[in-house]
Amino acid sequence: MGLITPLYDDLWNEYVLWSALVGLFTFGWLYHHSFYYTAKEGETPNIDNLEVGVFPKEYDNLKLEFAWFIAPLMLIIYLTFISWAPLDNLWSAASSEDGGHYGNECAAGESSNLMFNDDTGLYEADCYEVFGITGYQWYWEFDCFDLSEDLCAVSTTTIEGKDQPLISLKANTAYLAVMDSNDVTHAPWFVSLGIKEDVLPQQTTTQWVLADNVENFLLLCTEYCGDDHAYMIAGVSVHA
Amino acid sequence: MSDHDDHHAPQPWGPHDWHHGAPHNSFSPLFLSMGVAISLFGLAAAWDYGTYNPGHIPTILLGLLVVGFSMFIWWRQDISFDGHYDPISTGTPFRGIQVRKVATWVFLMSEMMVFTSLFSTYMRYRLGIENCGTVFERGMFDPVTNPTGWQEGVAVTCFEPASHLIASSWWHLAPGAVNTFALILSSFTVVQALRYAKMPDLDEEARRKKVYRYLASTWCLAVLFLTLKMVEWFVGFYVPEISFIGLHEHDIVSLVDEGYTINADHYQHHSYIDEATGAHMVANIQVSASLFYVTTGTHGAHVAGGIIGLTYMTFKAWKGLYTPANAVSIEYFGLYWHFVDLIWVLVFPFFYLY
Amino acid sequence: MERKTLVTRSMVALILISIAMVVSPAVNSLPTGVGGTGIQSSGCNCHSAVPTATVDITVDGLPEEYNASETYTVTVSFSGGPVESGINSGGFNLWASGGEFSVLDATVESRAPAEVTHTEAGNDYRTWTVEWIAPSHGRDVDFIVHVNSVNGDGANSGDEWNRYDLTVAGSLGPGLDPADPFTVLATLIIISGLLLTITILYGFYRTNPDVFDWEHLAPWIADWLTTTDHKKIGTLYFVQGLFFLGVGGILAMMIRLQLAGPDMGFISQDQYNSFFTLHGTTMIFLAAMPLINGFANWIVPLQIGAPDLALPRINALSFWLQPFAALLIFTGVFSGQGADTGWTGYAPYIVSTGAHTGVTMWVAGQIMLVASSTLTGINFLTTMAVMRAEGMGWMQMPLFTWSILVANLMLFLSIPAFGVGLIQVYLDRTISTAFYDIAAGGDPLLWSHLFWYFGHPEVYVVIVPAFGVISEVLATSARRSIFGYKSMVLAMAGIGIVAFIVYGHHMFTSGMSPNLRFITMLTTMLVAVPTGVKIFNWLKTLHGGSLVYRTHTLWALGFLVTFTLGGISGMFFPSITMDAHLHETYFVVAHFHYVLVGGTVFGFFAAIYYWYPKMTGRMLDEKLGTLHFLTAFVTYNGIFWPMHRLGVIGMPRRTHTYFITTEDFTALPEWAADWNMFISVCAFLFFFSNFILVANMLISLVRGQKAPADPWGGWSFEWMTASPPPTPSFDWNNLPVLKDANEHIANEPSAIGRWFNRLMVPEDQEEVSH
Repeated sequence: MGLITPLYDDLWNEYVLWSALVGLFTFGWLYHHSFYYTAKEGETPNIDNLEVGVFPKEYDNLKLEFAWFIAPLMLIIYLTFISWAPLDNLWSAASSEDGGHYGNECAAGESSNLMFNDDTGLYEADCYEVFGITGYQWYWEFDCFDLSEDLCAVSTTTIEGKDQPLISLKANTAYLAVMDSNDVTHAPWFVSLGIKEDVLPQQTTTQWVLADNVENFLLLCTEYCGDDHAYMIAGVSVHA
Repeated sequence: MSDHDDHHAPQPWGPHDWHHGAPHNSFSPLFLSMGVAISLFGLAAAWDYGTYNPGHIPTILLGLLVVGFSMFIWWRQDISFDGHYDPISTGTPFRGIQVRKVATWVFLMSEMMVFTSLFSTYMRYRLGIENCGTVFERGMFDPVTNPTGWQEGVAVTCFEPASHLIASSWWHLAPGAVNTFALILSSFTVVQALRYAKMPDLDEEARRKKVYRYLASTWCLAVLFLTLKMVEWFVGFYVPEISFIGLHEHDIVSLVDEGYTINADHYQHHSYIDEATGAHMVANIQVSASLFYVTTGTHGAHVAGGIIGLTYMTFKAWKGLYTPANAVSIEYFGLYWHFVDLIWVLVFPFFYLY
Repeated sequence: MERKTLVTRSMVALILISIAMVVSPAVNSLPTGVGGTGIQSSGCNCHSAVPTATVDITVDGLPEEYNASETYTVTVSFSGGPVESGINSGGFNLWASGGEFSVLDATVESRAPAEVTHTEAGNDYRTWTVEWIAPSHGRDVDFIVHVNSVNGDGANSGDEWNRYDLTVAGSLGPGLDPADPFTVLATLIIISGLLLTITILYGFYRTNPDVFDWEHLAPWIADWLTTTDHKKIGTLYFVQGLFFLGVGGILAMMIRLQLAGPDMGFISQDQYNSFFTLHGTTMIFLAAMPLINGFANWIVPLQIGAPDLALPRINALSFWLQPFAALLIFTGVFSGQGADTGWTGYAPYIVSTGAHTGVTMWVAGQIMLVASSTLTGINFLTTMAVMRAEGMGWMQMPLFTWSILVANLMLFLSIPAFGVGLIQVYLDRTISTAFYDIAAGGDPLLWSHLFWYFGHPEVYVVIVPAFGVISEVLATSARRSIFGYKSMVLAMAGIGIVAFIVYGHHMFTSGMSPNLRFITMLTTMLVAVPTGVKIFNWLKTLHGGSLVYRTHTLWALGFLVTFTLGGISGMFFPSITMDAHLHETYFVVAHFHYVLVGGTVFGFFAAIYYWYPKMTGRMLDEKLGTLHFLTAFVTYNGIFWPMHRLGVIGMPRRTHTYFITTEDFTALPEWAADWNMFISVCAFLFFFSNFILVANMLISLVRGQKAPADPWGGWSFEWMTASPPPTPSFDWNNLPVLKDANEHIANEPSAIGRWFNRLMVPEDQEEVSH
């Protein structure tokens, strides 16, 4: 479907498939029974001889109940299994010694070479760059540290008639965003990259920003932070 | 509209006619809720982030008055309770047990969660924030040798347990220690009251005296507990010269006077002085102080609630209204009281000793 | 039309709608891009956070009073701020409430007919000139000017800005001001309150038209205020729940009006924030829980054969805490400072001075709700443990009673954590303790933990009773016993246990330790198992049954559809890689409304149709009921189904506006605005369709058929009593005894039960009691 990122899309497609199967099964069953097992007009039968003040005759079937205890269990074990691997990508360690997927921090002039490996279904990179994000009520501040203009640049742009910060990143580069907040909890959502993580005052959080495609998109705040929460946006421009 | 027969008319202000089954209509719940709402409203209006606005104190008092009035209605309806109607459980596994005793146990289960949450908060901060003593021992700041040290005049955010003050000498610990024994003793006296109230072959006057005196001593011990707590928090006390046990005359300063308050962002403990330079480490200990006062305060509120209940029970005992048939209501209170006692046994080491 | 045909056609229509929902064509008929007014209310905060007073704005060329349609040349200039540097020295934005601007030179560009701003070239000046063509209507016109005083270094730091407002009078004076949304809300609440009062008075009048006077009214009202009868308190809860369902609905309509188009400007962000906060709080605590408690109060004692609850006066206290808590919660609204923290009230925002002052009262109100819920929990658990009729072991309790047991057990073990958190926040905001003071070392995640430790069980607390209702309704409607009674009970108990170990999934993006996140991912997946068992058991109950279609049957089947959809969408969240995208979007909003409205509310609509005859002695009108089901079910899906898609394509929740893709940036596609309009229309239809239910209840109360004791053929004890039941519900000296169609005898105490008995009964028990 090409919704967000390959990481997300693979999971999404799998989940939608299983949702559709479960839905078809359940609703098919429901629709069939709700038409087939109906009382004739004006008739009120009493199949299990329900009677006031008498606990009804038990109606069960251990095998069946066990079957639909096991079936969802199998399904969720499978879904957990497929959800597991991308976590390595999402929370990769920050150095290759610890098994990180994105190598170590790039030396000057070294190229990140971020790419999606179709065989493993994961992102890989030779090294990564670091930039900073700080949340304020109600705007974002980016910090490129000492990255070159090409890798990371901060400027302003106009979005819906208001000046907002803009960060330019280079495509096919893995970035580690080091984040904190100046006042309350915020969360930068890189919409087109499908990632977000809270920024907390006096604490540092990180997230991997995997700029793989050339595109311009918005960064929104997704942890409620007060009056202008809705306008706490920034532009993200990924260039070739 | 004739739900009630004539001699069974609703008595929403009390007293009840217990011989006709379940407790019936009462204005007490309505007024109690109203009073609580007014008090909370007044409290929120009277303090705004520590800014005190005395104009709203009457609102708080009004709320408490309404609460008190509702308790009065409640007790007025209850005082005629002679045990004639005390519902007994029919379902397993509690068959044969008084319904309200089961309810008290269930209530204590949720009370347990209240203190569990408070202790979780305590553990989070105690383990998550560096201890002030550790910071002090690291020594004074030096850009080369000790870049993480503390600096003169710059407040360090660290955890300062109240026990650092309280456990510093026997006299500082005295109020807490006496309180511990007071509560344990009061658990004993309340059981004695129950024992005599239940004793079947006691004559009426003897029972009245025994029950009344034991409940009254429980009341006194509970009041002693809160009084000593106030002394320890706000007042402090004087220790005279008693030469033959080697005691010197000195003042024990209250926690608040020591500067151990919820606003203490520049707190100085007398031991945090660098011997070489005479510099004083100052600390922001607001979190530790908040934890101490709110946790021990929540326990104190439970004691205060117990005192309110005891006041009524002592009065009822003084009137000689406890008999073996309704003695079990002393047990309901006793269960709660033991729980409060037990919590103190946990609070004491966590906040006073360690 | 024959009833049967009506039902068949309804079901066919529902299938078609379901198919249409899946296909979801994008409607591209509505224009998008309603003009921006955001800057007018919030200011330009990109250059620095607050305006600078020393930046002095002058507007020349505007008359005191304008002549209709005349053209004026307006000059905007300013002084102050950083030193002028020649290039990149300033910018402005001029907005008028009427008339049109026309551009004179290349330094100014038009943004909307009545809004102009500087161009790239205009950036180098501090004076701009533009023409204003006055409107023809002759009303006063408001101007808002924003200027940026820029220091020319290319970055935002060091820049300053200011705002200037002026009004040019028209010959006809001021126009009609748009109504303040707070006033609208207050008016609507007061009107609803008045309607409620009138309804109550009418109810009194109907009970006996001959004695409609104060002498009879006063004791009647006093009786309701002081009652300790479980049925009357149930009715009070029920009325309160429905009333706040309406209030919460009004708040939702305000939210939907604002979101009907991008950048609507119907309500300001301030108001929007407090409306969605109050919507959540009201719906969960003041609508859903009282509705559940209403039925629990009414039905649980009847179902277990008890004359009343264990602690009747405590029960009255639980109820009365609620309306007073509601007063505190809404206090802030009427002073224009309603709580604006979201129902989760995340720290440190909740204790920051930036949050509205109403937050303190909102917290105080919730402390009272916590007290109320705790007391309710104690009361119901005790009642179910000790007052079951002879012959009713734990495993013979009707499933609705079981669901209330599980719900209350979860509630009263989890809510103290929330209560303690609230007290900490309340003290932080009043006497200035420092639990969440970041500078003093407070930890915002501590609040999240305390809140969600309660918050997650809480959402099961509101859904599990609906499971109970559906179990009763489906089995009775299919005219058979429920399939797998034991696995139903175990599944509910399983949900109750799992509830306590999954709450971390609300914090997947919170910076919490990845290990904890991973563990809660595993446990959260587990929730699907007991829920799946329940759904399949319900379906199997229908098998070989003989479904009698009544309104409550329709609602129960509708519940199965919507709850299953909500359950499926819930499975997307524990997959953390997807949650990183979906967290805090409309996908979440869609999911929890599918389970809370499609689950809880639909479940309790079924309960209303099912137990109303028992409560009032009157049958509800089936035609109106079917109409209510059809309209509400269809419009409900119209509201929440499209939200899934909006969430996935990037619409965040809790924002009072959303951004449509422009040439420069990819955001929401244009059809997202169309869908939002569609959702808003459906929302209003859904809101109004529920008045059919209210009308049905009122009309049937007066004109409905008299109900027999057991209109639907259920088996549990409530159908044994008359409709409505007497007071006390069962005679103390003649309590019912449950028979069992199966052979085993379950009421013998188990080994644990005997142990308990020995533990708890004092030896002198026999002498003391009786």
